[in-house]
Amino acid sequence: MKVDGRTAPETGSILDAVLALGIHLPHLCKDDNLPPIGACRTCLVEADGRVVAACHTPAAGVSEVLTASERVARLRREVLRLTSRMHGREPDVAGGPRSGEIWAAYEEHGLERPAFPRRIRDGTDATSPFFEFEEQACILCGRCVTACQQLQHIGAIGIAGTATSARVTPGAGATFASSICTACGSCVAACPTHALRPKPMSDPAQAGRSRRRGNGTEDR
Amino acid sequence: MERKTVSTCPFCGVGCGIVLHTRDDRITWVDDDPGNPSSRGMLCVKGRFGIPFVQHPDRLTTPLVRRDGELQPASWDDALDIVAERLLEYRGAFGSFASAKATNEDAFVQQKFVRLVMGTNNIDHCTRLCHSPSVEAMLVQLGSGATSNSYIDYEEASCLVVVGCDPDSNHPVIASRMRKAVDDYGTKLVVVNPKRIDLAERADVFLQPAPGTDVALFNGMARAILDDGLEDREFIAARTEGFEAWRAVVIERTVEEYAQACGVDPHALRLAARLYARPPARRGLPADERPGSCLAWGMGITQHTHGTDNAHALINLALLAGQLGRPGCGISPLRGQNNVQGCGDAGCIPDSLPGYQPYRDDVAARFEEAWNAGIPREPGIKATDMVERIATGEIRAMYIVGENPLLSEPNLAHAGDLFRRLEFLVVQDLFLHETAELADVVLPACSFAEKDGTFTNSERRVQRVRQAVPRVGQSRPDWEIICDLARRMAPRVGVDLGQFAYRSPAEIFAEMARLTPQLRGISYEQLDREGGIQWPCPSADHPGTRFLYAESFPRGRGRFVPVRQATPAAELPDADYPLILNTGRVLYHWHGGTLTRRVQALMDQVSEVPVTIHPGDAERLGIADGDEVVVRSRRGRLTGRAVVTDAVRTGSVFVPFVKLRESAANFLTNNAYDEPSRIPEYKVCAVRVEKKRPWDAALTGGWPTASRDK
Ligand code: SF4
Ligand code: SF4
Ligand code: FES
Repeated sequence: MKVDGRTAPETGSILDAVLALGIHLPHLCKDDNLPPIGACRTCLVEADGRVVAACHTPAAGVSEVLTASERVARLRREVLRLTSRMHGREPDVAGGPRSGEIWAAYEEHGLERPAFPRRIRDGTDATSPFFEFEEQACILCGRCVTACQQLQHIGAIGIAGTATSARVTPGAGATFASSICTACGSCVAACPTHALRPKPMSDPAQAGRSRRRGNGTEDR
Repeated sequence: MERKTVSTCPFCGVGCGIVLHTRDDRITWVDDDPGNPSSRGMLCVKGRFGIPFVQHPDRLTTPLVRRDGELQPASWDDALDIVAERLLEYRGAFGSFASAKATNEDAFVQQKFVRLVMGTNNIDHCTRLCHSPSVEAMLVQLGSGATSNSYIDYEEASCLVVVGCDPDSNHPVIASRMRKAVDDYGTKLVVVNPKRIDLAERADVFLQPAPGTDVALFNGMARAILDDGLEDREFIAARTEGFEAWRAVVIERTVEEYAQACGVDPHALRLAARLYARPPARRGLPADERPGSCLAWGMGITQHTHGTDNAHALINLALLAGQLGRPGCGISPLRGQNNVQGCGDAGCIPDSLPGYQPYRDDVAARFEEAWNAGIPREPGIKATDMVERIATGEIRAMYIVGENPLLSEPNLAHAGDLFRRLEFLVVQDLFLHETAELADVVLPACSFAEKDGTFTNSERRVQRVRQAVPRVGQSRPDWEIICDLARRMAPRVGVDLGQFAYRSPAEIFAEMARLTPQLRGISYEQLDREGGIQWPCPSADHPGTRFLYAESFPRGRGRFVPVRQATPAAELPDADYPLILNTGRVLYHWHGGTLTRRVQALMDQVSEVPVTIHPGDAERLGIADGDEVVVRSRRGRLTGRAVVTDAVRTGSVFVPFVKLRESAANFLTNNAYDEPSRIPEYKVCAVRVEKKRPWDAALTGGWPTASRDK
């Protein structure tokens, strides 16, 4: 199989092959630890002329993949633009390790963010001593829910409601502290936007919170 | 500068892969390691959020020496000179505890020091307090004391029997893997526990036996299997011995009688037995594979005065049903500390040399040749006996590495008295804990994040530990400290200096692998290249071993050992102390809490000792959920917060053994021991619970442990 003209392994998904070659491709709902959900469509590529989601399309049987053709780049940009309408401003605190993914994707696709500042869902939940949840940064990709349910088999959180009232929640009216959440942190590690993020490690030597820099995404 | 270091979690025996993220040498985040086959990208709250203890300001940063009754900072040279000088006086009256939290390399060097320089086999570690009965029973019946299967077998089993342990609290990632089996593959689940643990929610059968009646319960299951003709006759004939004699004992009573003895429903007991012996195939099991059952157990089995009997009864069940030596089955004593398996493998036990090799002349000769000096051939004294024999003067000096017996021994007031009678005590650890406060010399050791080495987890997987941050203060890795000490003493006892001249943990591992058959094929290069490897791994081209006993048992045939239910416990409730205390753990703290008490977020989660009590008892005693209560036994008392729930049986109280606000369950527990293994009976003692009254304020806390009145 060729990816952008380079030879790639044909095991696993197209996304695996793309990432193995070190090519940047957003994949906001695909977590390293988990099977693909196929929800966000930010990983669109052209495979033998068809536009497919790389995360859940097997590489086997595909002969040519384009990640940067004019057509897929435009489609991905459009998907990302719609995604950016789902959240508010970027939180100005350090996020988890995967938090940079979304902001980097905007950058690579030449998008201002957020394109449409909006906020219907803007709750915060800081009841857990270990992590906090800032709803307005959430894109409802579902990675956290999958991590809790399919990786840890705990099922403490879900997405409730539909359309603009959809939200990640540990249950109606419940907080993380009052739920069956065990604070394993798998959801925090999975979140690509730092809507879910660790509270700063209680480290007396590290005064205050560090502002996240990089990706050209300083808070404005 | 930002760095990521792939290492292994320092908490429980699951041995999850962790990635330490550091910025300018401070730990900022702990990530999971999707490539680690033991944890598969999972962590629990302790591994993810509990690591800040590493750089806590309480860390010991210099050696401390007692001068004029006070511990005072000293240089390494001064401290080690004193230790070397004094320990030489106590050859023959000396004992040492190794740490199941330290690396294999630390453990190997320590036992070598004790055997070679101190000339004694008096070395032991916390396995004495957790799984010594399991190991004892497995050695007698099978010839090896390790978990026979891998975690992947829990996911491939058709039935899981989880006995006397609470994986959700103690082995959370194993609990996740078990839940996955039930949710994704329809695996049957049997939970046996006097407390209704979280996993019981998913159980097909939940048995809640009266404390201390485990032998009756497992004999009852065996009887039910025999009644239904579900035993694996082929396996029994080909692979075991002693069946008839054992059977004669089991059939002395009926299933109904057994069920009555342990207070469970006989139908549930029969159902559990059927599920274990012949479970229905899980979803996705290949048609030509026999559905397997895994048996996993914890301290609920072992920490009894008949702990070894309990373990025998369980292993008999596995032999009877032939649930050993295939994928998806096996027996697993779940290990509490990150490196209990490795510490034992490395030889920190009094009754055998590294690799569980006996003190036989030919074996000892190999060690003597490698070490170029004689080693003692007499088995040493076990940890709990070392403490008890301080009283008789057989032990007068101790060297304790990474253990805090004054929180982990039973009947702490008694243990404290004994430790105060020691003539010389050296403690080597991260923090100035209860035991260190009594020491003559305290040596600051590095945590796992400041050194290289290996840990061996519950599934026998040897995994790398890598340095992620600089050493805190003047602390040093245990192996380095011990080598430095040994070099000061070696010439005086006729040992070559070269025996303690290691330049790196890799060199130590190489020596250990040479002398230990099951590790022989493992090397750092291979671990760095391929990730963790499961022993036995006899040669460099061997891939490691997923499950044991496929063909045979190390002792040849598996042996049935008949056991009968003895008195449930050494101390039973009476009019003065009418309730039964059961101890265990909580998810948010680790063991005594020496590490987790130093993580603010974990303390925010659980800051007081929870005392779990049944609503019926609570009502009778006028106690409401959240009340402050005082729990007393004949040996001590503690103050905690009542948690009223019917998860515990009437008449019993559950208290985790973490020490919070000066209260610790081991002030209450009984120093009564199981004979073969010498494990204390942590799981049962008689107590009385009262609502704390205002004038009880002075009673808050345990006995004073910090004072030193030699
Ligand atoms: S909280 Fe994060 S991981 Fe969860 S749905 Fe929102 S953006 Fe996705
Ligand atoms: S931290 Fe809580 S909500 Fe998140 S995955 Fe773990 S249990 Fe679920
Ligand atoms: S990553 Fe492929 S659809 Fe979300």
